[in-house]
Amino acid sequence: MLSENEANVLRAISEEHSDPQTIAKKLGVKVETVRASADVLSEKNLIRVLKHVDEIVILTEEGKEYAKRGLPERSLLESIGNGKPMAELKDPSLKISLGWLRKKGWAIITGGVIKPTGIAPRGTDEEVLEQLLDNSKSSSDLDPDGLTTLKNRSLVIIEKKKSWKYEITIQGMKLIPELGEITESIAHLTPQMIKFGEWKGNNVRFDGRLYSVRPYDVALEAEKIFPGKKHPYQRLIDKMREIMLEMGFIEIKGEIIQSSFWNFDALFQPQDHPARDMQDTFYLDSEAEIPNYAKIKEMHECGGDIGSTGWGGCWNPQIARQEVLRTHTTAVTIKYLADQPHPPIKAFAIDRVYRREAIDATHTPEFEQLEGVIMDKDVSFRHLLGVLQEFYAMMGFQEVRFRPGYFPYTEPSVEPEVFIEGLGWVELGGAGVFRKEVTAPFGIDHPVLAWGLGVSRVAMLKLGLKDLRELYQSDIEWLRKTPLSINI
Amino acid sequence: MPVVRLYYEDLEQMVGASRDYVMNRIAMMGADIGKIATETYVDVEFFPDRPDLFSSEGVARALQGFLGIKTGLREYQMTFGNILVEVEDSVKDVRPIIGCAVVRGLEFSNEAIESLMNLQEDLHWGLGRNRRKVAIGVHDISRVKPPFRYLGADPEHKFVPLDFTSEMSMRDILKKHPKGIEFGHILADFKRYPLILDANNAVLSFPPIINGELTRVRDDTHDLFIDVTGTDPVVHKTLNIVVTSLAERGGIIESVHIKDDKSHFISPNLAPSKWTIRAEEANALIGFQLSSEELAECLSRMRFGVSVVGDKVEVQVPAYRADVMHSWDIFEDAAKGYGYDKLLAELPRTVTIGKPHPIEIKKAEIREIMSGLGYLETMPFTLTNEEIHFHKMKRRPIEVTRIMHPISELHNIIRISILPTLMEIFSLNQHHPLPQRIFALGEVVENGKTKINLAAASIHSAADFSEIRSVVDAILREMIVETSIKPSEDAAFMPGRGADLIAEGRNIGCFGELHPEVIRAFNLEQPIAALELRLGDLQGAWIA
Repeated sequence: MLSENEANVLRAISEEHSDPQTIAKKLGVKVETVRASADVLSEKNLIRVLKHVDEIVILTEEGKEYAKRGLPERSLLESIGNGKPMAELKDPSLKISLGWLRKKGWAIITGGVIKPTGIAPRGTDEEVLEQLLDNSKSSSDLDPDGLTTLKNRSLVIIEKKKSWKYEITIQGMKLIPELGEITESIAHLTPQMIKFGEWKGNNVRFDGRLYSVRPYDVALEAEKIFPGKKHPYQRLIDKMREIMLEMGFIEIKGEIIQSSFWNFDALFQPQDHPARDMQDTFYLDSEAEIPNYAKIKEMHECGGDIGSTGWGGCWNPQIARQEVLRTHTTAVTIKYLADQPHPPIKAFAIDRVYRREAIDATHTPEFEQLEGVIMDKDVSFRHLLGVLQEFYAMMGFQEVRFRPGYFPYTEPSVEPEVFIEGLGWVELGGAGVFRKEVTAPFGIDHPVLAWGLGVSRVAMLKLGLKDLRELYQSDIEWLRKTPLSINI
Repeated sequence: MPVVRLYYEDLEQMVGASRDYVMNRIAMMGADIGKIATETYVDVEFFPDRPDLFSSEGVARALQGFLGIKTGLREYQMTFGNILVEVEDSVKDVRPIIGCAVVRGLEFSNEAIESLMNLQEDLHWGLGRNRRKVAIGVHDISRVKPPFRYLGADPEHKFVPLDFTSEMSMRDILKKHPKGIEFGHILADFKRYPLILDANNAVLSFPPIINGELTRVRDDTHDLFIDVTGTDPVVHKTLNIVVTSLAERGGIIESVHIKDDKSHFISPNLAPSKWTIRAEEANALIGFQLSSEELAECLSRMRFGVSVVGDKVEVQVPAYRADVMHSWDIFEDAAKGYGYDKLLAELPRTVTIGKPHPIEIKKAEIREIMSGLGYLETMPFTLTNEEIHFHKMKRRPIEVTRIMHPISELHNIIRISILPTLMEIFSLNQHHPLPQRIFALGEVVENGKTKINLAAASIHSAADFSEIRSVVDAILREMIVETSIKPSEDAAFMPGRGADLIAEGRNIGCFGELHPEVIRAFNLEQPIAALELRLGDLQGAWIA
């Protein structure tokens, strides 16, 4: 599609106006505009551009003088009459003229006297000089010998000048009738055009004028924009939540600050267990109220009435009151089960837990943990393996295997491993059946199948992260550029 | 977890199976094969509940059963000796419990010495709670003369401690000897220190700190005296683990008499403890259907002594096992003996309806609103520090949840506001194009209780009050919350450009243009408009 200017120039060329100056004058635009349009037309093979270089002969100041008064040797010839002694011609400025007189054979010098030969025809140099008097001329219009002479005497200079001529091509001719009456090409449509315009192909007739709508280079890069989005890690957490919900689990939550009672003692962790050390747990300088602990104390000290040996020693309620940042979501789970000891229960939690770890690429002092529990009549360890297999399959880990594990509050315990291409078997989470010592004091009479896993470890695998900190101290470009549809 | 270095050649010899076969099955017995492995050895981690596996000898014993080479109870011959250890009353307040044994006829290879030393270390950690509960001393018995005395001694008592050449008082040992410095705190509260002396008052041991140089174990040592002292009966288990491990190397265990003014007993006591279990209980827990005989067979592979009596299985638990507290511990071993890899996974039939937590439903709605407004979600840490939380924000410090022993001063409190953590994220992202608009939705802790907040912030050259006011309006409109707005006194905002949100007379949040001093404090240079909303608590008290 042609712009308004291009169309007008093409039309002018078709009307046998062949040079930019003429066309510019006719269209009332600048010569540069015509030439720019002509270039476009030429690229589209609608016209041919013929470039021509002219030599323009221009008189120098000295040349202009001689053109008016004649060449100096002619003036000298006229002034010597029939002869003149050389002595009278002492003026040095006459030396050049004298030279030319003799060179052209118009005069000779004999016995100290200069005498005309009587032969002094009008030379081509003089003719050219005269032709140039009023106007500069193209070198091709002038006598070459005369021009050479003048050039050598620095009476003229030659300037090279480019000029263009345009010829319409057959393709151009074909387009002429189609140009019709287009007067303007536009980029943006006005609401009025959208409402009232009449469309013919790419052209719109509106308000008595015809507009062409400029086509774009549709492959051109556009400015990058990014939508507001959920954090990729949150999307993974939500995916896990959805799996748990689909599997029929109810979502539970609990306080970040827990008493040692719920975080440790309720789970039959002995009070001198290394996991309870200041080294591993964030303790707070505060104490919590704890429930009636008689049964817990009895279980720890002598195993209650379930045939356990217990840990022996003396269980101290003061230690149980000490508050901590929960080290696992199990603190929340056991409290929930203690409140709802009747089957069936299927519950899960995904929340942040805290461990006293220095920050590095694979450790953070807080991270998300997923935990699920099933409490029902007649559920067994094999059912736990079934739930794990199903859960991991839904997470996209088709191959799962189980090997013995150890966790202080489960028996039996198992460490699931999933197969990941390129990494091999990777340990992912832990599971087991809550020990009787854990469930009995709360009146929970049926097995509790429990499993948990660190969500941030899954995130590293799924998002290909090298550094866990990326989840919490995120690079905004990473958040922007991680696609919503990434397979997590 | 304790790591045991297993030398393949040594292990093959002790187990009687090829290294490939062993390594193929060992994880199924309950182990993590470590990353360190060479042509001659591999490091394997064992679980803390199985201190009997903290030595290569113990591992070999278990493997023999697990692989079916030697199953059932491992019985140890013990000769009855007449060495006497007298326990004096003076030590009863400090470290009352002691178990001792003699092991004779040992030939120490390098592997055996390394294994014994590592076993000692791991037991000090695993059962001994860093020697507080249990400490072990191993002596060349040929250097001393029985009978021995265990007593509480005057701290000024002098002897030459291990690795030293001159006498030191016990008090000085706690101050100057490396082991004294490391473990001296255990004795900090006591006026008398534990000491084991021979008939000539030569020092064997200053438990739980250091042995005497006199009884150092050398290449040519063949007969050992072992003392285990502590505060808990687990002392005797520990002794059993050490002596049975040495017996696996060909040592002959010899008992000693331990006597105080009231009682007298023979140590060690290697008699297995007896448990009676029923197959149906094991079947119910594990989910398999084994007969009593099959169950007994599985346990036999785990080196329990078993005999089927009617519908019951009588189980003898080896004296070196420290983990069996309840019948379920035996059932788990039955499952291991059966093979975890042979257990069929099966879904339970428990029918329940899944239900998301109401808070998560609300949070999902808010994420949808914020994404729609063009904000990117971030999930900063909840641990932070006062400098970021208050000083950089120009906010007056108030009472927050403080960690007693933070691992870093950067993380010593739990946030009560999310906005400062968003500022940190801006700080980290200065090199990325503006505008940046981010939000975070999550927990804060206020007066010890978990609450849920939303914070959002926008940084770019034209970020201003009206931009964030529009965002606040949009959020509250979508959440169907009615609020009134009044000027805020929060110093984080520019004077006259911060607002508080009041709903039902309660302050539920704030928004505005951040004070340039706040912006500068986080090394930022562009205007920031921000908001924070207090959404509610875990008990379901929500603003909408």
